[in-house]
Amino acid sequence: MVKTADKVEEEMRAIFSTDTPWVTIVWDDPVNLQTYVTYVFMGLFNYSKARATELMLQVHNEGKAIVSTGSREEMEHDVARLHEYGLWATLQRGDQL
Amino acid sequence: MTSTDGFKRHGDHSYVAQFADSEKEVLLNLCEQIIELLSERTDHGNDDPLAAMVGITSHDSPPEDDVLHRLLPNAYADSVDSSEFRRYTESTLRAKKQAHAVVMRIHLKSSEDGTVDLDHDNANAWLGAINDIRLALGVRLKVESNSNEHLEILAPDDPLRGVYAVYTWLGWLQESLLSALIDDADSKSQPENS
Repeated sequence: MVKTADKVEEEMRAIFSTDTPWVTIVWDDPVNLQTYVTYVFMGLFNYSKARATELMLQVHNEGKAIVSTGSREEMEHDVARLHEYGLWATLQRGDQL
Repeated sequence: MTSTDGFKRHGDHSYVAQFADSEKEVLLNLCEQIIELLSERTDHGNDDPLAAMVGITSHDSPPEDDVLHRLLPNAYADSVDSSEFRRYTESTLRAKKQAHAVVMRIHLKSSEDGTVDLDHDNANAWLGAINDIRLALGVRLKVESNSNEHLEILAPDDPLRGVYAVYTWLGWLQESLLSALIDDADSKSQPENS
């Protein structure tokens, strides 16, 4: 697929913009244990047990949850770490939710 | 030999399990399979050795195999962004997942009596490896979130029945290791008695 000039321009704006937050989303998965998901959130993001449990339940009940927010680069790092531990994660622009 | 009671916490940062020979065999076999599965894809070689050295691969399409696709998922909904991300990160992700399984294999191989004693970092590697094995088995078994009825009623001679038994057992084993780790963390967050 060839990127159009518009698409490139849009990406450049997103990369250099400091005010567009990106988000990391974790999606529900039938295999991962609830305890495990909570443990991974605590370990990777340093969340309290209460916060991690709340996010795990949101993933379980609503199908997904935003687990972190920041620059695109930071969110790519978070997604890579979540993939390393087998969680199903994606990132996207916060204004396109 | 009796079968394992799972992982138990032994003091600070020590998590111990005792596996029967048959259990050790099953775990070793699964480790070997996941390590093999995560080896570099041979369908798209990288002609540029420098790019390969810094972890850039020439393939950027998602794996065709369902299991590999679950272990190495897309990072973006958009396929162009996803391919770009994959090109720069997939070999690192493969290497990290393989490293978890290799840690698990080393402990099992080096244990003569089936006892495994993990520190905190190794326990995290085991958790990751067990999880990858469960994800792989889960895809093959078509595990679903609402009901696994189709797996509960498998015929005694159905080969998937054994796979499902291993899958369930691994979930139980992973849970026991998580309990031991959480118990350890909780004991540290409590205030000291004066």
